Amino acid sequence: MKKIFLIFMIVFTAQVSLAQVKNVKGVITDSNGMPLPGASVLVQGSQKGASSDFDGLYTIEAQKGQTLVFSYVGLETQTIVVGDATTINVKMANASSNALSEVVVTSLGIKKTRKSLTYAAQELKGDELVRVKDANVINTIAGKIAGVAVTKSAGGTGGSTKVVIRGNSSVSNSQPLYVIDGIPMLNSGSGQPNDTFGSLAGGNRDGGDVISLVNPDDYEGMTVLKGAAASVLYGSQGANGVILLSSKKSKEGKANIAASSVTTFETAAYLPKFQTDYIAAAGADESWGAKQSSPDHVKDFFNTGVTQITSVGYSLGSEKSSTAFSYANTSASGITPGNSLKKNNFGIRQTAKFFDDKLTFAANANYTSQTIANKPVNGFYFNPLTGVYLMPRGNDFNEYKENYEVFDPTRNLMAQNWMTNRDIMQNPYWAINRNKSEDKNDYFNGALSLSYKANNWLTIASRYSYNRITSLFDKRIFATTQGTLSHANGRYYSENSLSTQRYGDLIATINTKIGDDFTFNANVGTSITNTLTNQKTILDSGISAGLVYANWFTLANFVNNANNYQTIDSRREVQSVFAATTFGYKDMLFLDLSGRNDWSSTLANTGTSSYFYPSVGVTALISEMTTLPEWINYGKVRGTYAQVGNDIFPFISTPTYYFRPGFTDPKPSAGPKNGTTLKPELKSEFEFGTEWRMFNNRFSFEVSYYNSETKNQYLQVVAPVGNQEGVDFYGFNAGSIENKGIEVVLNAGIIRGDKFSWDSSINFSQNKNKVKELPDNIGNRVNLTEAGVNSYRYALIEGRPYGVIEGINFKKDAQGRILLNDDGTFQKTDFEEVGNSNPDFMLGFSNSFKFGPFFANVLLDGRFGGDVMSLTQAQNDSFGVSKATGDARNAGGVAINAVKPDGTVVTSMDAKSYYTQVGGRAGITGEYVYSATNVSVREVSIGYNFNRKTLPFLNTASISLIARNLFFIYKDAPFDPNIALSTGQGLQGVDIYGLPSTRSIGLNLNVTF
Amino acid sequence: MKLNKIAKAAICISLLTAVGCTGDFEDINTNPNGFTPKELEQDFNNIKGGFAPMFNNIQVLTPEWVYQLQQGLSCDIWSGYMATPTGFAGGINNTTYSLVDGWNVFNWDYAYKYVMFNAYDIANKSKGKYDQFYALSLILKVEGMHRVTDTWGPIIYSKFGSPETTIPYDSQEEVYNQMFAELDTAVAELTKRVDAGEPSTFVSTDLSAYGGDYKAWVKFANTLRLRLAMRIVKVNPTLAKTQAEKAVAHKFGVFTTNADLFKIVSPVYTNPIATISGSWLDIRMSADMESILKGYNDPRTATYFDTSTQFPGQYKGVRTGIAINGKGDHQDFSGIGSVVRSKEIVLMTTAEAYFLRAEGALRGWNMNGTAQALYEEGIKASFDQRGASGAAAYIADNVKTAVAYVDPNFPENNSPALNNVTVAWDAAATNEVKLQKIITQKWIAGFPEGQEAWSDYRRTGYPKLFPVLKNYSGGTITTQFGVRRINYVTSEKAANAGGVASGIAKLNGPDTGGTRLWWDTTGPNF
Repeated sequence: MKKIFLIFMIVFTAQVSLAQVKNVKGVITDSNGMPLPGASVLVQGSQKGASSDFDGLYTIEAQKGQTLVFSYVGLETQTIVVGDATTINVKMANASSNALSEVVVTSLGIKKTRKSLTYAAQELKGDELVRVKDANVINTIAGKIAGVAVTKSAGGTGGSTKVVIRGNSSVSNSQPLYVIDGIPMLNSGSGQPNDTFGSLAGGNRDGGDVISLVNPDDYEGMTVLKGAAASVLYGSQGANGVILLSSKKSKEGKANIAASSVTTFETAAYLPKFQTDYIAAAGADESWGAKQSSPDHVKDFFNTGVTQITSVGYSLGSEKSSTAFSYANTSASGITPGNSLKKNNFGIRQTAKFFDDKLTFAANANYTSQTIANKPVNGFYFNPLTGVYLMPRGNDFNEYKENYEVFDPTRNLMAQNWMTNRDIMQNPYWAINRNKSEDKNDYFNGALSLSYKANNWLTIASRYSYNRITSLFDKRIFATTQGTLSHANGRYYSENSLSTQRYGDLIATINTKIGDDFTFNANVGTSITNTLTNQKTILDSGISAGLVYANWFTLANFVNNANNYQTIDSRREVQSVFAATTFGYKDMLFLDLSGRNDWSSTLANTGTSSYFYPSVGVTALISEMTTLPEWINYGKVRGTYAQVGNDIFPFISTPTYYFRPGFTDPKPSAGPKNGTTLKPELKSEFEFGTEWRMFNNRFSFEVSYYNSETKNQYLQVVAPVGNQEGVDFYGFNAGSIENKGIEVVLNAGIIRGDKFSWDSSINFSQNKNKVKELPDNIGNRVNLTEAGVNSYRYALIEGRPYGVIEGINFKKDAQGRILLNDDGTFQKTDFEEVGNSNPDFMLGFSNSFKFGPFFANVLLDGRFGGDVMSLTQAQNDSFGVSKATGDARNAGGVAINAVKPDGTVVTSMDAKSYYTQVGGRAGITGEYVYSATNVSVREVSIGYNFNRKTLPFLNTASISLIARNLFFIYKDAPFDPNIALSTGQGLQGVDIYGLPSTRSIGLNLNVTF
Repeated sequence: MKLNKIAKAAICISLLTAVGCTGDFEDINTNPNGFTPKELEQDFNNIKGGFAPMFNNIQVLTPEWVYQLQQGLSCDIWSGYMATPTGFAGGINNTTYSLVDGWNVFNWDYAYKYVMFNAYDIANKSKGKYDQFYALSLILKVEGMHRVTDTWGPIIYSKFGSPETTIPYDSQEEVYNQMFAELDTAVAELTKRVDAGEPSTFVSTDLSAYGGDYKAWVKFANTLRLRLAMRIVKVNPTLAKTQAEKAVAHKFGVFTTNADLFKIVSPVYTNPIATISGSWLDIRMSADMESILKGYNDPRTATYFDTSTQFPGQYKGVRTGIAINGKGDHQDFSGIGSVVRSKEIVLMTTAEAYFLRAEGALRGWNMNGTAQALYEEGIKASFDQRGASGAAAYIADNVKTAVAYVDPNFPENNSPALNNVTVAWDAAATNEVKLQKIITQKWIAGFPEGQEAWSDYRRTGYPKLFPVLKNYSGGTITTQFGVRRINYVTSEKAANAGGVASGIAKLNGPDTGGTRLWWDTTGPNF
């Protein structure tokens, strides 16, 4: 049906094109005579417009006497009156002051001139989002924006991404707000793991997020608002920064069909290293047996993944209305067997104008449906990788691959075939085929907007949007799955989750001049946001309860109802009124004043649900105020101070009895202590910056300094066991986290020749993070991830940076010698700090080259400083499968500098004795901490633009070879430190059998008709 | 322009509703899957609802790993019942006398959160109004909390629920006195209702096998009193005798048939040991059990343990406190048997009541029977409970004694037998030998409930258990006497530092696992 519609539209527009009669043509070039592709041409006073192709050619319908307006970013706009000639060639001069007219999309979709901004905002053009396409659009911004740290989840293709702008500032959430065309999007995932061992509810799995579900081809650009000032208009949701996406707008008067196809091949990169010299003793799980060669089966386990993204977009605009339609299909197979993804994106956008163009109406709808089979998990449970890595050497891996199940005559069913009964390592092919999981996500986003231009200074707009996300996780665990994970008859686990958001606003925009020198603009509005996240129904036949009939995966076959439950993560309504004003003086001095008042439902029963926060900012254009040397085109300084309030967890102030799985007492688990009340979090930030452009805008830089502090964090303290309220935790406000840092963005047109050009940009950011205060009654610390039974813990500790990695070290004497017990075993410390997950600074270096029709882009991405821990390596060591243990055995032991209590110095230890004590998930993990510093070739593309003349019916065409995560220039850790086990707050800076990072190489084909 | 007016009206209305309507905030902020305290009052569920968590957490029934930390890796092992083949935390843990705070905290926390709090909550809502519920909550509280004082010594008891930030501890003597008084209250209240022929209002709430029968609950309270009385026999023999005789003399008496025994009958949860042993392979038969059961050729062995998968047809136990190279060393020794693959969790046996009376008789108390008769009744009751046959021959056996322990894989763990008593009663033997027989049989009968067996071991020193070969206590716990208590947990020290200090002051010793409790004197058994 969709295809028929598409064909119809193509035919229809072709006819429209044939009906056009008179055209003005020409070539648009820059001052050097180089053709300018993508320059725009408008007929002044009408809605007709066109843009030039790759050879700078344009065609536009115009009448004699009309004025054509030629414009191109970075160049002086020209106007030419149409005469008799039908060919008008235009040479455009470099603009000396283009920065003054540049427009940036800011909060609530409001466009502002860049010069008037009092805070840092960095943009990415649509091209950057699709050049080296990733199935998750947000992964493509890594290394491109100063101050933004992007960490991919270990969930493989379709996984979520953790984005942190200007450092972690909150105990509960550090992710930014995503906004599409001014309307906040609900970026809700169905949950993130936070268990060092692995979740028994189907493994440590990535519940995904919404931003990974959008179609990158739908957007023409992205603006990142980094600070609190930029996001004050979004209130609490924007406290961690805002990422704005702008939809592609239809070009008026022109039907456009764009299609692209990307195929990439992913291979596992940076696998752990394994020994091949020793096997396991008969019947042993660990490979500490005799010396005997055994093949490295690990590499062959991984497949080459293939990702294909095909997208097609159609748009048509006229004076009064426009229509755009897009469709994208993503089909991928992962590097682990049995893992695949299918995603379909549909988008439609319609605009129309009424009443002499005074009333504008726009509607858009997007729908995404995604299915992932066997999404990779991390941790020790349900993870095929543990079986692959740890399999006792000397066994034939292929034998267990081909025969992962064998017939069990006593039960008359196919049973798992594996040499050991260990919960942490099943037969990987059993885990893949008989513990199969399916993740289904559906995302709908519908928005309506009405804008009424009452007069030349007042516009009133109202918008409404609805987001709906459903996630289904379904796992069928067959009988004879290891007993810790499943009942003897198998286990069925199904989780159905719904999240919705309703958003409405009403905003009056005032744009006026007061006298000749003063401008005033203001946005005054009100909004309401109603969110429901993760309303889940969880069906679990359980481990001890189980299924009545083996392998019959349905609710009616459950032995009992003990593990089925319903839950909600949050439900809240926030009502707001806000005003943002800008006073301008002679277009050189700007003053921003804004304020917002929120009423949040989460503050019910706390005395007041209302809280107010203001911001103030100043910008001065030095280049306008004083006369600067000729070569300086633009100079600006700015400063701003802002506050953002953040409401508290929902339901806390209204405790109820509640059924939690695994608990037999439904009394409320957390609440305020009698006589105390809760209040919102408050983030305050000040920021100073300066922006300069020079040498005909070929060189520009921007420097920002910021300092933010988030106070009154919502924390929970373990309530004394004798407490009157009967709660496990008291909720209260306390604590303070500080972030201060500097961001530098440099852009340079290094070479701008006729045939060759080289543009380069560098972004640098440094963030210093400190947990300034955590209260005594929680021991001045908050564990974001509890250690459980492993020697990894992730915590906030007063006086330390956010996210300290804690582990266990050797006990050493003053001379640095390791202390041994009488029996020769190591003495260990308690948990102590062994690392810090924050980078000291980040550097992105991006280069684009043009050589005639060829183009190339290279992005280098570096993170410097910080640490990571590898429990994978530790466990591989203790099981005697790692290369380190093989080498140590070959070398006759491990050299140590240790001393016994009686003073005997020990210089060497048997490899098995050493690694079984030091290695392991609960070992001396301080020895498994690595520097997280890494520099990688993040993106490379090399392409060719076809000459339009040689193309029969296409408008433009290009082909490029693309690569992502090509290789590391420097890396210390035994895994890719840019991958996290969770995109939530916990499980950072550690690898516990996460999916290896992938290197992808592919081909990108783009055509427009 | 008409449309324009409508739009304006709509705008005004939406503006007003947006800023003026926070009235439903409390509704929005109430979890729809939750139940408000007000709603819970229907059907008196606010009172009755507190019982289920008490029943389910005296021994934690779910999740299994909490049971493992609450009891499975502490007193189930220190009692000599079971051993773990797993070298948790590098083998340096509770089993080798390096007490793991992160484990033991579950014992403390679950008792207070689920047993003590609910008892307090029920008392607040029922005392003086629905005294039958109050009485029943007291019995369950004593059942749950005597385990806690027997683990730590001084604990929070009389001051529970205080709004102060520091909640002082009671000495163990004070706790015991209060428990006796609470049993007095409960027994009097329920006996009165039985006498009045009042129907039970506890039927639907009772998760024991008693079906709400007040008389059965009184018997349980009496037997519990007898247990507590015997516990303090070395420190306060006078009070012990008074309380024990009071229990036995009550008109409903103590447990006499296996229908009387106290067990949780869970509609849902299987004994967590089944999973810990069967799926996780984390708990095995102990070397002590192997030595004694094998020595007596005990007919109950087959229900207590499975045969080893490594040595088919044999029962193989694991010695506690040995060097563990890998879990594979001993994980395929004998797992725990059919006794735990059940949704019935026995917390007090009828056999125990007989053995307590036997010991009382031995001490010259009026227990309505001779020590020998009661001892033999206890063995019979246990055989009957386990469905084992051959009790008569077993009781008459005056030959067999415990056998040496042999670890087929690691001979360094071998040990000669430590216990040399036979089953048969010997009237000519010393009281000490008689007591050893009684406690040894009580130990066998009580399996797998390790808490009580550990308490008896500390009180009497029987049965003699194989000492650990690895002691990582840093000198605080002796290998000879073993773990005497658990030190106060870190979370409690953080949340109630003053309280812990008051507890340590009443402990009469350092806050370590080697300090003896109030009733655990170094004096002789007689």
